[in-house]
Amino acid sequence: MAERPEDLNLPNAVITRIIKEALPDGVNISKEARSAISRAASVFVLYATSCANNFAMKGKRKTLNASDVLSAMEEMEFQRFITPLKEALEAYRREQKGKKEASEQKKKDKDKKTDSEEQDKSRDEDNDEDEERLEEEEQNEEEEVDN
Amino acid sequence: MAAAAGSGAPREEEGPGGDAAAPQPQAPTSVPGARLSRLPLARVKALVKADPDVTLAGQEAIFILARAAELFVETIAKDAYCCAQQGKRKTLQRRDLDNAIEAVDEFAFLEEAVLGIEPRTSGLLSMRSTI
Repeated sequence: MAERPEDLNLPNAVITRIIKEALPDGVNISKEARSAISRAASVFVLYATSCANNFAMKGKRKTLNASDVLSAMEEMEFQRFITPLKEALEAYRREQKGKKEASEQKKKDKDKKTDSEEQDKSRDEDNDEDEERLEEEEQNEEEEVDN
Repeated sequence: MAAAAGSGAPREEEGPGGDAAAPQPQAPTSVPGARLSRLPLARVKALVKADPDVTLAGQEAIFILARAAELFVETIAKDAYCCAQQGKRKTLQRRDLDNAIEAVDEFAFLEEAVLGIEPRTSGLLSMRSTI
């Protein structure tokens, strides 16, 4: 599905919620104004991406990273965003780290469980082997007696 | 169950329609005010990928762009509201937004895309007017 950049809009419901929370209670927004803000937000992302990409290319990197975006904010004269963005980034990194640790812990628990199950299994096998040996010895004794 | 909030769902949320509120990532309970983004990262990523010069974008970059877009929406809404207040209105109109864009230098990049005005500086981006 070929989409022009201008057609990629952010969800209206979320945009409306952000606007309403930014404004005092009782203030409304017309549909046209909201739609224009939504479009402006898309353009903002496109512009910021382009600026950030310039920084990435300067650093001879092919992947945009967080600091490229922060540099773009400065370039676009949105320095006031930089501090809240850094805080949000730290919170995001903590959350990602927490998620990663949680899933690694789950995996460890799963492995431990599998290990202990295997141990039980091998203990049973050992018992079986012992019994077989005993039987063999008895047979040998019988044979000796015969001889 | 299109709107099911998936536990353990990947960071990308695919929303079929524009108006459906996409399931949001959980906000951290420890730090009040440091909210994670409400905008769906998948949509932001689609915008980033629309740029032909961009090869790849890291997850953190997408997240920060989403958060920056939120801050931008808050900022422009507040600036537009100042104009509405002067006119003693309680409803933000399109013209309030237009005024804010013309008045605030940082919003100059919007002039072409939102107002359809030719940019003062030549070719910041090769974007066509959306009007």
